[in-house]
Amino acid sequence: MHFTLVDRFLELTDTSAVAVKNVTAAEEYLQDHFPGFPVLPGVFMVESLTQAARAVLARRGLPRMVLGEVKALRYGSFVRPGETLKVEVSLEKSREDGAYVFKAQGTVLRGLAADSSQGETAVSGRLILRPLRTEP
Amino acid sequence: MAKSRADIEADVRDVLVDALGVDEDDVVPTATLKGDLGAESIDYLDIVFRLEKKFSTPEKPFKIAQGELFPENLMTDPSLVEAGKVTAKGIALLKERVPHVDVSEFEKDPQVTKLPTYFTVKSLCDFVQRKLGA
Amino acid sequence: MRWMWIDRVTVFEPRKRLVAVKSVSLAEEHLHQHFAAERTADGTTLPPRPVMPSSLILEGMAQTAGILVGSVHDFREKVVLAKVVSATVERDILPGETLRYDATLERMDEMGASTVGIVDRFSFVDHAWAPVGRIELMFSHLDQNRAGVAFPEENFVFGENFRTILEGAGLRRAGV
Repeated sequence: MHFTLVDRFLELTDTSAVAVKNVTAAEEYLQDHFPGFPVLPGVFMVESLTQAARAVLARRGLPRMVLGEVKALRYGSFVRPGETLKVEVSLEKSREDGAYVFKAQGTVLRGLAADSSQGETAVSGRLILRPLRTEP
Repeated sequence: MAKSRADIEADVRDVLVDALGVDEDDVVPTATLKGDLGAESIDYLDIVFRLEKKFSTPEKPFKIAQGELFPENLMTDPSLVEAGKVTAKGIALLKERVPHVDVSEFEKDPQVTKLPTYFTVKSLCDFVQRKLGA
Repeated sequence: MRWMWIDRVTVFEPRKRLVAVKSVSLAEEHLHQHFAAERTADGTTLPPRPVMPSSLILEGMAQTAGILVGSVHDFREKVVLAKVVSATVERDILPGETLRYDATLERMDEMGASTVGIVDRFSFVDHAWAPVGRIELMFSHLDQNRAGVAFPEENFVFGENFRTILEGAGLRRAGV
């Protein structure tokens, strides 16, 4: 698979983003998650939110920021093939240690005629992104 | 030595900040867990586990039984809810089993979907205080 | 990509603790995109920088802790991740390193379970384990009432791809 969990940005500024991730049976890992009951893995919702937040920080001249912390992230509805996860992230604050705190939420969109502002919550919580750290 | 109300409130605030990811300033006595603080069902379980951990001592474990803290967990019996409203039997049960939840206003229009709005930070502190004093 | 984010169980104490390891390798496709070379807004080119995505470290812990929780009822219950209470990933993991997930079952009842886990990593460069982070999770038992969804009968959560891992650890699924 290609590790891009955001398909299209609907809004992108240096403080917030709204994007969509389509879920399709063509994504092979779904065969394992779960056999007979394919659903977008919860951590891929986190990855989608992270990629959206990363794009916000890239707008601020900070590329390749990675997920350093997660706080109080709850899962709700499943997202299944043929459905769409709409992710929304907004920058809450920047910390002294160079990390950025985002409020993050994902909602499920099902049915093409549905109002794209409606949807059950699939995931919500806070994500904190920081610069890469690979030194020992 | 018994815990003071102020200590209980501080401990409950810590639990809610950790479990719900809210700011300390949001945790005021009148704040509702579901509406104001955004608690969902898995959070209720997290809160129960954390309260048990926070208030247990080697001499006196603090164990919370199902339906002892959150009123929604009591409303599973069909005879307690009729056409979306909690019955008289249900109200009596609420008063008996979850006295820390103030149902005097709720009684006037007991729509079961509105029940969570009566569970506030104060309800939680009252519960802990009563249980610690027992 | 197979949805398997742990490689081997190394310690299993029933109802208490489970430790699993995951080797990180350039043979894994996603590392070539995370991160691939890119051109930034100000025109500089960043070289490729393969690091394990934190979300997949989270999944490694979820699978480790999930097996620990599931084993309590012989994998009869469908156990799913309900909440990431808190997670920290303090350093990023490189190909050639090995991750270790050490999960402990804190509390469990009919509604769900809570686990605490420590993550660390081994590097051949310094021949040492170094701390990576701490992850607290909550799991709930999936049932027919969840959002009115009907689930297939068999326990798809602990499916075939877990079999090798479970057998290697001396764990077996109910009915297998």
